Amino acid sequence: MNVAAPSTTGQNSPAQPPERRGPALGRAGEAVREWAIRNPMVLVMVLVILYFLYMSDRFGTVGNLQTIAIAAAPFALIALGQTLVILTGGIDLSVGSVIAASAMTAALVVKDHPERMWLAVLAAVLVGVAVGAVSGFAVSRLGVPPFVATLGMMTVASGLAYVLGNGAPINGLPPGYSAIANTKVFGIDLPVIIMILGFAIMIVLMSRTTYGLRVYAVGGNPLASRIAGLNVNRTLFSVYVISGGLAGLSGVILSSRVISAFPSLGAGYELDAIAAVVIGGASLMGGRGTVWGTILGLFLIQTLNNGLDLLIVPSYWQKVIKGVLIIAAVALDVWVVRRRSR
Amino acid sequence: MNGSLECRDLTKSFGGLPILRGVSLRLEPGTVTVLAGENGAGKSTLLKIISGQLRPDSGEVLSGGEPLASGDVHAARGAGIGIVPQELAPIPDLSIYENLFVGREKRTRTGLLDRRGMIKAAHEMLTVFGIDLDPRTPMRRLSVGMTQLVEIVKNTSWGARVVLLDEPTSAISDREVDRLFTLIDQLRGRGVAIVYTTHKMAEIQAVADRVVVLRDGKLVADEPLSALSEHDIVQHMIGRELSELFPARPEPRAEVALRVAGVRREGAPPVDLEVRAGEIVGLAGLIGAGRTELLETLFGVRGRTGGEIEVAGRRLRPNRVTDAIAAGVALVPEDRKGAGLVLSMDVLDNGSLPHLKAFSVAGWLRPKARAGAVGEWGRTLGLRSRGLSQEVQTLSGGNQQKVVLGRWLSGDVKVLLLDEPTRGVDIGARSEIYRAITRLAESGLAVLMASSDMGEVIGLSHRLLVMRGGGVVAELDRRAMDAPDVQERIFRHAAGLNVA
Repeated sequence: MNVAAPSTTGQNSPAQPPERRGPALGRAGEAVREWAIRNPMVLVMVLVILYFLYMSDRFGTVGNLQTIAIAAAPFALIALGQTLVILTGGIDLSVGSVIAASAMTAALVVKDHPERMWLAVLAAVLVGVAVGAVSGFAVSRLGVPPFVATLGMMTVASGLAYVLGNGAPINGLPPGYSAIANTKVFGIDLPVIIMILGFAIMIVLMSRTTYGLRVYAVGGNPLASRIAGLNVNRTLFSVYVISGGLAGLSGVILSSRVISAFPSLGAGYELDAIAAVVIGGASLMGGRGTVWGTILGLFLIQTLNNGLDLLIVPSYWQKVIKGVLIIAAVALDVWVVRRRSR
Repeated sequence: MNGSLECRDLTKSFGGLPILRGVSLRLEPGTVTVLAGENGAGKSTLLKIISGQLRPDSGEVLSGGEPLASGDVHAARGAGIGIVPQELAPIPDLSIYENLFVGREKRTRTGLLDRRGMIKAAHEMLTVFGIDLDPRTPMRRLSVGMTQLVEIVKNTSWGARVVLLDEPTSAISDREVDRLFTLIDQLRGRGVAIVYTTHKMAEIQAVADRVVVLRDGKLVADEPLSALSEHDIVQHMIGRELSELFPARPEPRAEVALRVAGVRREGAPPVDLEVRAGEIVGLAGLIGAGRTELLETLFGVRGRTGGEIEVAGRRLRPNRVTDAIAAGVALVPEDRKGAGLVLSMDVLDNGSLPHLKAFSVAGWLRPKARAGAVGEWGRTLGLRSRGLSQEVQTLSGGNQQKVVLGRWLSGDVKVLLLDEPTRGVDIGARSEIYRAITRLAESGLAVLMASSDMGEVIGLSHRLLVMRGGGVVAELDRRAMDAPDVQERIFRHAAGLNVA
């Protein structure tokens, strides 16, 4: 599902010897092995990387790494939001449609006010926050199952995306807008910087703050959390709002990169985000999972996308291979966990 | 093939921690073998290995002299081994007969379900065991005790020759325990070998032909019941002399910490009660008497329709857990795993959950303050864990309970509500919990404790309230509690019989 990811980096210097092939494998100490058994997905990732390094000269180049990172950025934001939601035992199906709705909103705003770029970004994020707030309200206050609530909002947001543009794409966005995704800071593309910031913030949030602890607790056992005095409803509500807001930001990055907003933008992205979280070892029942896991899952999917592109595998077959690999990867994870507890 | 089942030198470790260290055991037909031992002694693990749910690290299980494939549920079942696990797994939305026949449904000649045939057969199966239930009743409507009986029928009616019962009484009432014993007698009469795990003395005396005691994964005693005194069994289980179980009660203070006036709930009479600082008040009553509901109402988990609750002079708003916690009320709920702990989190996280504000600055956790406080009460309570980062689900029941109790201690608690504080907790940990409760009272906490364990409420409390139908029907002071017939009196109050 690598929708129109134009390679913004054309500098594939052929003088790029594949020197950094698996330095970690050199010291295969007992500790490393033990660790690999406990984190089978890391092993899968290493195998996938080694395979593509072997099969393609271009895979290991700096330019290609940038391509992967840039393609990953919009997915990264929604996968981070999805991680929070899944940790509470929920799921957010609406993020793909939120991308479309927020991108359309941003495009409309920036057409009217080309000089106020921040307003477009703010509007897009607010659209996501609003959709997330409705889902969160339905889940936390009305007791609607997350699957149903976000399925509903997925349809609503998608509908709004069509309404906003009368069903048509909005093209010809001002250069200032396309600069969001195509600017470089210290040689790194802005979306990649946003992604890394997102990772850092989320890792700290989930491991160093009371908020993170509450999310884990509410997902692990809502009743026990309530008896421990936590505000379960507020925590549930918040994760959908955050997920929506991040999806809104993701919509800005995507539409800025393709310099156009259209109602089918981001369609199906929620599935890749969910897949990333699950590959990362999170439990759909809630309470278990880490941001690091999601990052790993995200890059496993993105690496597959990229590597299969390089090997010129037809995109339809790519989908088949990716789907099978997702199931196989998680099955391996489950198998390892089960073997350990037998 | 004769009916005997034998375990030879079974060992098993989890994550490097040995659970069974070479257990050999031979089961005879028509005998009830009680497998006694504290929680964590390895009882459940042994049963799981016999029934093929777990693979031993070494050793084997033999049926009629033939080794069974290890870790193979089907092989075990083929050898006539049936298990009724501690955590029951009925399908609540199916009826009794559907549950009984799940996986081996009767069919008509056309291949459709033979419902009439199954209902008839189910009726016979239940009647044999003296259970008078319509097989078409949905499982959901049965009490835990009845569900248990049906599960036993389900696991024996296919002709099991060995029946493993894992803590069968951990969640059922006394009357249902009697029915269970009747059923066990019938199975014994038919030549079934029964293994029954428990750590309750009364049950051992009631059902055992033979007592096998496990301690720390080793078999430390294997004798006919008649050869062992109660004292012997307890000593084998804990491996040391059990001194005074209940510590001396501290003197209560004068000021009232908890005042409950006319608190009403749907379908229950108003409740008035007071607990002074430093006082331990017991709540006795039958299952369903409303003790849990009362505690939950006081804590604000459950709503009330009227009345006042005051903690140290501060009024609590109804249905506000945060209000209760802020006023210094703490609840240790009955259902430790369902309502007390977040099983997927570690000791540190669970242990600091109610007082996150105290362990953070503007939402940022203060790791040192957190670990310090949790470690401190952990030491006070004698918490045994592999460190604060151990997941609580891998702790024994007693240590889990210490976490649920201890996590309140790092805050300013004035009123401690305890609901079945030692359910599923072994004797060693129980005495530690009793000592902790007493020490807390001594430091000025008001304790209100609901318990179905008569010895516990009598031995620990200053005063006893008996509940029935949601209301308090009797109050017994220290003198009445010391009378020899106190258990009888409590029971009569609780059951609504005449009190002599």
